[in-house]
Amino acid sequence: MTAPTVNPLRPAEAPPRAARPQRRFTAQRAAPYLMLAPAVVILVALLGWPALQVLGISFRRLDLGELIRGEIVWVGFDNYREVLSDPEFWVIGLRTVLFTGACVLATVGIGLGIAVLMRHLDAPVRIALQVALVLAWATPIIATTTVFQWMFDQQYGILNKTLVALGFDGFAGYSWFTSGVSTLSVIGLLILWQAVPFVAFTLYAGLLGASKDLYEAASIDGATPLQAFRAVSWPAVRPLLTMVTFLSVLWDFKVFTQIWALKQGGPDGESTTLPVLLYLKGISGSHFGVASAVAVLMLLILVGVTWRYMRLLVRSQETEL
Amino acid sequence: MKTRSQRMALSAAGLVVALLFFFPTYWMLTTALKKPGDILSTDYDLIPFSATVDNFTTAITKPGFTTFLTNSLIVTLGAVACALVAGLLAAVPLARMRFSGRRGFVLLVLVAQLAPLEALFVPMYLIMRDANLLDTLPSLLLVYMAFTLPFTIWTLRGFVKGIPIELEEAAMVDGCGRWGVFRRVTLPLLGPGLVATSVFGFVTAWNEFLYALVFMRDQSKQTLPVWLSSFRTAFGTDWGGIMAASVIYALPALVFFMLVQRKLVAGTTAGAVKG
Repeated sequence: MTAPTVNPLRPAEAPPRAARPQRRFTAQRAAPYLMLAPAVVILVALLGWPALQVLGISFRRLDLGELIRGEIVWVGFDNYREVLSDPEFWVIGLRTVLFTGACVLATVGIGLGIAVLMRHLDAPVRIALQVALVLAWATPIIATTTVFQWMFDQQYGILNKTLVALGFDGFAGYSWFTSGVSTLSVIGLLILWQAVPFVAFTLYAGLLGASKDLYEAASIDGATPLQAFRAVSWPAVRPLLTMVTFLSVLWDFKVFTQIWALKQGGPDGESTTLPVLLYLKGISGSHFGVASAVAVLMLLILVGVTWRYMRLLVRSQETEL
Repeated sequence: MKTRSQRMALSAAGLVVALLFFFPTYWMLTTALKKPGDILSTDYDLIPFSATVDNFTTAITKPGFTTFLTNSLIVTLGAVACALVAGLLAAVPLARMRFSGRRGFVLLVLVAQLAPLEALFVPMYLIMRDANLLDTLPSLLLVYMAFTLPFTIWTLRGFVKGIPIELEEAAMVDGCGRWGVFRRVTLPLLGPGLVATSVFGFVTAWNEFLYALVFMRDQSKQTLPVWLSSFRTAFGTDWGGIMAASVIYALPALVFFMLVQRKLVAGTTAGAVKG
């Protein structure tokens, strides 16, 4: 939208001041702010203000006692020192980053693969696949987590039964939750199952956006499928790929419900990630100050990881109009 | 052109992927239909032979089910509706107008998406306590609205941008007032976008567990996710019951999703491409 059209909804391009009554001009200038007001009030009051409080609490000692008595005890950087000097925090932090990276890579990779596959499928098979994906996508997290727990059950789980039926007798009564790596793998599968459909559908929509003519032109020019993908599909999905990666990073880094519901971060804390640590310190341990420090550190990591993309988004907002 | 064998191979691959994604849903449904004795048996039972609806009856007649369902629906639909109104109001100027402070607002919306829910827990609790809202549905409604609003603004902005501005201008030329243009042109065209956006809010609010558990200390004020967890006790898990409950719990989300699936995809794309 680069053409300088006359747009009555755009106050910046309104006729010169003198031509219009003063009142109208100010009303026009106020319009965007009035329209933004409800959202700003909600965001500031229910997200911004609590976020500031979290920052404040991270410099206080706030356990159950202080909370009930309404005491304010400033301790400076003590909470941060406690968190950062605990070797466990670094292990959990690294684990969270690696886990997020693996989940995001797998989600986006598999999603892209399915999107490309969908483009090549005949209608009946494609619809069957889409229905299966939508079912996986729409099933609520808690229901899904429960189903996975049941499928991976030590005694009666269908996975172990199937493996035994296939001749792997060692899996009779095998527990998938004895090590952190195996527990996190099950959680990763669970996350993939729910996250891949969103990515696949979004990228598929992007692929459909690339016109058929381009593929035909490519095939007339004798392009191999791989060349056609690079020349035609890739440009169509690239911006979408960036967006789904950004969203996946946000979602996977903050995953809590699935991890907690499956094994509470166990065994022996080996599947504990930063959100679980936050919950353990804060809600179940009532060390709200320490938990807040963890929360601030988490946010810093997230901002660090997504900084470049956010800057791009904000800048494109400026130049776009 | 693809050869016959290539097409067969592709179809086979497609079906395998479909089966993999369908299996957990299948397993949830069949387990829900099994008799308790069959569930806890070590036989290989990929295909169930005996079926019963007992688990569903038990789940629905569990005390409080309708209360929890109503609570969940009120909180979820209320939060989605409020977020849509506030989100749309913000999305229009964001997509269409130039004003100072835009950049700051965009940054606010983006950063708000980063916040982990668990992190804001203590201040949220204090705010609700001081406002005397603990144990009331509005407390959850407010929280869920706030958590879904950033995403709502962001996607709706994409939809508003997707509407050719020429349509609005034409209506203006035809003598429509600004409100008239919005009501007669913009709003109808935004319909699918509003539906698609609301799905995300719906799923987020419908799923939320932690805040519901702690804000609603009164058992009778709980929501469905908390109800679902009541099937697991220290004495063990009623797998048939919890699977039946999960099916019931998933149904509204599933129906909603099926209805708007197509528009949903168009929506996410619109939001992204217009970047």
